[in-house]
This record gives sequence, structure tokens and C-alpha cells, in this order.
Amino acid sequence: MTKLRGIIIFALMCQHCAVASTAEQAKQLVETRLNTVLSILQDKKGPDVINRKDMVVEILEPLFDFSTMAKLTLGRQHWPSLSDENKGRFTELFIARLADSFFDKLMLYTDEVIQFETPSEVEKKVHVPTILISKDNKIAMVYKLYRSKTDWKIYDIEIQGVSIIHTYRSQFHQILENGTVDDLLTKLKLPRSD
Amino acid sequence: MPDRSIVRYYLASCLVVFVFSSAEAFADLDVNRILHSTDAMNDDYDDFGLEDEFVESDVNTTFDPAGGYNRVMLQVNDKLYFWILKPVAKGYGTIVPEPGRRAVSHFFRNSVFPIRLVNNILQLKFKGAGTECLRFAVNTSFGVLGFGDPATSKFNLKEYNEDFGQTFGHYGIGAGFHLVLPVLGPSNLRDLAGLVPDSFLTWHNYVHSSAARLSIAGFRTTNHTSLHIGEYENFKENAFDFYILFRDSYEQNRKMKISE
Repeated sequence: MTKLRGIIIFALMCQHCAVASTAEQAKQLVETRLNTVLSILQDKKGPDVINRKDMVVEILEPLFDFSTMAKLTLGRQHWPSLSDENKGRFTELFIARLADSFFDKLMLYTDEVIQFETPSEVEKKVHVPTILISKDNKIAMVYKLYRSKTDWKIYDIEIQGVSIIHTYRSQFHQILENGTVDDLLTKLKLPRSD
Repeated sequence: MPDRSIVRYYLASCLVVFVFSSAEAFADLDVNRILHSTDAMNDDYDDFGLEDEFVESDVNTTFDPAGGYNRVMLQVNDKLYFWILKPVAKGYGTIVPEPGRRAVSHFFRNSVFPIRLVNNILQLKFKGAGTECLRFAVNTSFGVLGFGDPATSKFNLKEYNEDFGQTFGHYGIGAGFHLVLPVLGPSNLRDLAGLVPDSFLTWHNYVHSSAARLSIAGFRTTNHTSLHIGEYENFKENAFDFYILFRDSYEQNRKMKISE
């Protein structure tokens, strides 16, 4: 009996380790890449700003599943009704816009430190909570990843509880409720308002 | 001072909050309809099962009966910010150096500690309540009336920010619907109801002369704004529909704070 119990406990522990390692794996992926990026941004003697941005984009791009993110912002309600041509154009414009605002923000990091917390598994997805610590501010950021065919990919980021995908999504839905797909594409194409 | 008519208005508004938060529960029924309608399943929409979490939160923000008014009020607040608050805060910022403004900001945060204490207790968060007491003791003494914040910098005591809006949410009262308040900015029915008891725990609302009361509140706002210039602008810059972005961000952020 005690032997059996021992085996069960051992099996449970193995399972526990396996579960932890999946989430841990995703966390490590995000952690290494983001820390590399921070060290590039904070290296005062390093390459100039334009080269830096290129390096940052190159390191972080494989982490994101940008085309799924684009799809999620329109959702099942609107995405399927777009023509193939419009799907392509929307995805392209959305990615440009998202990457632009994300990388622009990132370039402003100077003395920031990212503190990684324990990741959690939520319905096959992994949430990697972090705290962005600067001189006088702490911002909670959660990187949300799912397992794609190839690797762990980020499909959403929550900043202080606010999901990027969700905010784009409700704005796009609002635009499509009162207008057409062309209106949406035109708005995406416009340079950002003042 | 809380006289009878305020209390009466307050109770009436609580009733309104209650009615609308139950309306929200009906809106939840919609989730199932969207998730399981046959149309939705027969498409080439390959989302790796990621969509559902967003559909659920969609419904929570689409109930927006005050939307028309909110958009107007947001414009008014926008103008107030750019025409009055920002120039004043910028001028003030050139006179008072940043460390001074930070100290003032710490002082005000420390002085509204009763709001945080009471709401930690009401939500039975005793660790939070205890930490808040310690923070208040440390900052008021070593931090010289709260102008410094040694509780955070020296003792690593984190602030546990709770208010009545969060307490109501903690006990299951829904947001009702989104409301943009004049000057104060984004809120909702529940949080508006929370502002009343919050204000009873704010010392400067008890200052006798109304001119002095207003000046203190104005000074507090100016000081706060001077430390955050550019954030609003930045936020606005990334918007496609500014009102929706603002509304969504507020509601999601409050939801996170309530669940903490």
C-alpha cells in the first residue's frame, strides 16, 4: 500500500514538473529575448538609434504571432466576411501599426528593469506576468502566449489589466458598426492623429 | 458635510446602480449566443481557440446607454485639459522642481490612507489593512508628514490601493454602465457611487471654507498633472476611436483591480 502511494505521489510529481516546465519554457523564451533587448537599449556605447530599432525588431519578431493577432481584433463576427484581398491588406496595415506603436514605446526604455513573476497556465495558454520597474513607476504587464505549430507565440499583451487585442477589437467593431471595411482600412492607413 | 438630502440622493443612486448591474447579467446571456451560433462555426476562422476569451469581454463593454453623452463629455474634458489644466500644470512645473512635486504627491497619497484602510478592512484583506497602517505610521513619522515615502523605498512596504468602487465590485456589484464625469474623467455607475463614501474619507473635503476646499483640490490635481504630462497625449495618439479606447481601458483596468 505504501509502495503504491509512493508510486502515485511520484507520478503526480512528474506530472507537476511537466506542467511547470511548459509554462516555464514559455517564460524563459520571453525572458531571454526581452532581457537581450533591454541590454541593447541600455548600452550607451552601442549602435545608434536606427540600428538599435532594427536589432530589437529582429530579436522580438519571432516571438509574436502578428497575423493571428490581426485576425483576433476583427473576430469571428467580421473576419470571415472580408474578401481575401482585404484580409491581406488589413493584416499588413494592422501589423505595421501595432509594431510601430509597440517598438516606439520600447525604444524609450532607459533605466527600466523587467521583473518576471511565476507564469501560469490558463486553458493550454501561458500567461507570463511581469512588472516593468522604472525610477518611479511600476507597470504590470502580462505576456499571453499559445503553442503554435512551431513554437510559443505571443498573441496578446495586457498592460495594467488592459488587453491590447481587446482595445483594438472594440474600436474596430465600433468602426465596422457605423461604416465599411474600406473605412477601417483608410483609418489604419492614416498617420496617427496628433 | 453629509446632510440628509445627500444621503437620500446617494441611496437613490445606489438603487440605480443595482438595477443596471442586473441588466449586465442579462447581457452575459449574449455570450453563449455568439459563441455557439451555427454561422460562427462554419467558416475558415482558424483562431487556435484564442477567440473565446475576447468574446466574453466584448459583451461586458457593449452595454453603453450613456455613450452619446459620454462622447460629448470626453470632448469637454479634453478641452479642459489642453486649454487650462495642462498649461497651468506646465507653468507650475517650471516653478517647482520635480522632487518637490513628488513630495507633494506623496503627501496627498499618504493623507487619503483612510480610504485604503477602510476598504481593505471591508474586503477582509487584513494583510493589506495592516500594511497600510504600517505605511502610514512610517511615512507620517520618518517620511515627515508623508512628504517622503520611506515605506516603499526603505522598508519595501507596497501600497494596497482599494476604494469603495472596488469594494462594491468585490461583493459582486457590476459596473452598471460607463460614465464620463465632468472634470473627473472616466467612471461608471458603480464607481460613481463609490466616490461618495470615498469623499467622506478625504480630509480636505472637511475644510470649512468652500474656496479653500476648491483650492486644495485644484492644487492636488495640478500637482498630479504636472507629473504625468504627455501620458494622456500618448494614449490618445494610438486611438482609432478615442472614446472606445478610453472606455475599454478604464473598465478593464478596474476589473483587474477588483480581482486583485
